This record gives sequence, structure tokens and C-alpha cells, in this order.
Amino acid sequence: MKQRLLQAGALAAMLLLWQAWYMSGAPSYVLGPLEIVQALGAALGIALGLAAGVSRAAGEVLSPAVFLTYPVPKIVMLPIFMLWFGIGDLSKILVIALACAYPAFINAYYGARSTPAILVWSGLNMGAGRRRLFLNVVVPSALPLVFAGLRVSLALSFIVMFAAEMINSRSGLGYLIRDAENSLRFDLMYVSLASIAILGYAGDRLLGYVRRRVLAWQEPLSA
Amino acid sequence: MSALRRFSLVVAALVAWELAARSGLWSPLLFPPLEKIFQELVALLSKGDALAQAWISLGRALGGFALAAVAGVLAGMLMGRSALAAALLEPLFSGTYAVPKLALFPVFIFVFGIGSLSKVALIFLECLYPIAIVTSQGARQVNKTLLWSARNMGASDWQILRRVVVPATVPFIFAGLRVALPVAMIVVVITEMVSSADGLGYLVMYSLSSLQTARMLAVAAVIALLGVALDAALLLARDRLVYWEKLETYYV
Repeated sequence: MKQRLLQAGALAAMLLLWQAWYMSGAPSYVLGPLEIVQALGAALGIALGLAAGVSRAAGEVLSPAVFLTYPVPKIVMLPIFMLWFGIGDLSKILVIALACAYPAFINAYYGARSTPAILVWSGLNMGAGRRRLFLNVVVPSALPLVFAGLRVSLALSFIVMFAAEMINSRSGLGYLIRDAENSLRFDLMYVSLASIAILGYAGDRLLGYVRRRVLAWQEPLSA
Repeated sequence: MSALRRFSLVVAALVAWELAARSGLWSPLLFPPLEKIFQELVALLSKGDALAQAWISLGRALGGFALAAVAGVLAGMLMGRSALAAALLEPLFSGTYAVPKLALFPVFIFVFGIGSLSKVALIFLECLYPIAIVTSQGARQVNKTLLWSARNMGASDWQILRRVVVPATVPFIFAGLRVALPVAMIVVVITEMVSSADGLGYLVMYSLSSLQTARMLAVAAVIALLGVALDAALLLARDRLVYWEKLETYYV
């Protein structure tokens, strides 16, 4: 229990730190709090993925729709969302959340489905209820894949954020790059480029750190 | 029954769309009815011009993807099988993995020009990473017993590579390709949206700016269908080539 609290605390601390970093580091140049958006999309994906992996009915309803639309580039939804929700931040946020939800869903789904049957049977034999079984057996065994999905969706969130800002925005790093390019300020362009690279790298490292803490019992996968 | 269940969500989404279009609450500019989108789709597909745009996008996506597949498999194999190559290349790949390569697009435009070349180069770069990394994982995980047996039975280095290492890595290569293919589609559409005078991404932005919503959605549907078709083709190729192993996970 204490360990679980610690884990949740570490995750929350990471999000808070990240948020603080954004607030202080690049006030008006980053599209809102990207991390929160990514976390929301990914959380939705993970929740649905776990549900689809555990329950047959949910799996049969959800997974064909997800797998059918997975190879669709989600960025084509941006013009449609722009039409519905305006050209402000909301349409970009929705596209980013949508793009992040897919890898999170697919990995959580396979993570939950590949729970070793022996563990589930043992749990049942020892009298675990459905809730205990889900929290203590299915979720921990799905976690490595969940983190793999988070890593993909983190990288994707930067790509989509960038694309959305380059296509249509008056703020954000993507806009800054285009603006600098148009006004032939190459120094500014490379600075924005470097900051996006640092952000992406730092985000990936932080996620890797949290994964190593949460999955201390597991052999590191690789890279 | 099971088929009904499988596509229930897709059908529900289409029905919801049609209801929203017919309700009259929103302008038909925001929610064009499905039949109008379908008409536009037919019009697009029957016109040579729109098909040519699709070909252009497809050519760019597949061109960059194919280059990345060749280079990525080579680099991945080297990283997986040679300690020297791993020491040289791995920091490069893992250090820049999370950096959005898309940010380089303005630079690429300067270097390669505003035509197809800068887009193909960017697709190549974005696709290279998943392919190289997953291939190197696979090449590293080749069963040691198999390698020893082959060596014991007198196989040469070349034979071991051809008969043991490559077949053991092919499932991983396909897993990497499967991650990279949608990325190629994403990047081609994005780069065409940002700066282009042709291709499907340009067609989306053009229809949007001329307020032809139904056509925009039709083009989006074409992009979606292309993505699904490419993925299905890749899966088919995988099932033919890797006939001994059933696909269980979506990707590694």
C-alpha cells in the first residue's frame, strides 16, 4: 500500500515538475500544457485498453474500431476539428489527445490480454475478487507494455503539437519556427529547434526514470 | 452477432454523424451529410486529377519509407550483431529518439528545396528510428543455442547470418516496419499541409480554405483508406514471409 502511494506520488510529482517547467521555461511559446493533454489522452487510452483487454464484450466492441482507425494519420482530423471548435487551442488539444490515445490503448490492451493465465488462476484459487485480481495481477503485469505505449505516445504528442502549430497557430514553438523562417531569423529558428529537441529529450528521460522506479522488479527492456 | 458487435462502434459513429447532419442544429458546412461526402469521394476518385494527387502523396510516403527500411534494417542489424557498431550508433539513436524530427522540416526545405525531396528526406528520418531500434532489439535476441548449434555444425559466418540471424530477426523487422508505416503517412500529410502545392495534404487544406467541407472530408477519407490499405498490405506480406510465427502483438 505504502509502495503504491509512493508510486502514485512519483507520477504526480513528475507531472507537477513538468508543468512547472513549462510555466517557467517558455511562457507564451508552448501550446498550453502539452504534458497534461498528453496525459489525458494517454490515460483515456490506457483505461479503455485495460477494459478491452479484461472484458470480452468491451474488447469486441472497442478493438476492431481502434485497430481499423489506427493506421489513419490522426492529423487529418485537425482541419475538421478546426472547423468545429475554431482555430484556437481546443482543436489542437483534441488532435493531440486523440493521437496519444491510440498507442496507449493498443499497448494497454495487449498488456492486459497477455497476463499469464497461471497468475490469474492462482489469484482466483487464493480467493481474490475481481477488483483485487484486476489491481494486483492484471495491472502490474500490463505495466511494462503500458509504459512502452506511453513512450510512443509521448513522442507522438510532440510531433502532432508541432504539426498543428506549424499548420495554423499564432503561438507555440512550431509557430515560432515558421515565423523565424519567414523573417529570415535563422538564429531564432535554431533556438526554437533546440528547445523542442531538449523538451522531447527531457520528457523521454523523465518517463524512463519513472518507469525504472515503478518497474524496479522488472528487467529493463532496452533503450 | 459477433460481426455486428465488432463494427457496432463504427456504425454508431456513422449514425451519430448522419443524425447530427440531419438535425439542422449545425450548418451543413460543419456536418455535411454522409451521402454528400460519398458523392465527393466518388467525384474525387473518378477524376484523374485527384488520383494524381494521391499518387504523389503515396510516392513520397513509400519512397521515404523504403529508403528508411533499407537503411534502418542495415543499421539495426549492425547495432544488434556488432559491439563496435552498437557503441558507435546506439547513443546517436537513443539520444535523439524522442526529439521530434519534424522540427527539422524548415531546415530541410532550405537544404533540399520545397519540392518532394525535403518531404521524402523527413519521412526517411522519422521512419528510420523505429525500424533501426526494433531491428537491433531483434538481432540481439537471436537464440544463442541456435547460433552455437550452427557454429558446431560448421556453418560459416555468412551462412549463420543468412540462415539463422536474418530469419530470427525478420519478425522484429516487420514489427518496426509496422510502426514506421503510419508514421510515413502522418509525415507526408503534415508536410503537404504545411508547405506544398500538390498531394493529399495540400488538397485537405485547399478544400478547407475554399470552405468545401464535404470535399475535405472526402479527401480525409481517402487518406484514411490509404493508411488502412497500406497497413493491410504490410500484414499480408508479413504473413507470407513469416509463415512460421503467428502475429500476436500489434507491435513490439
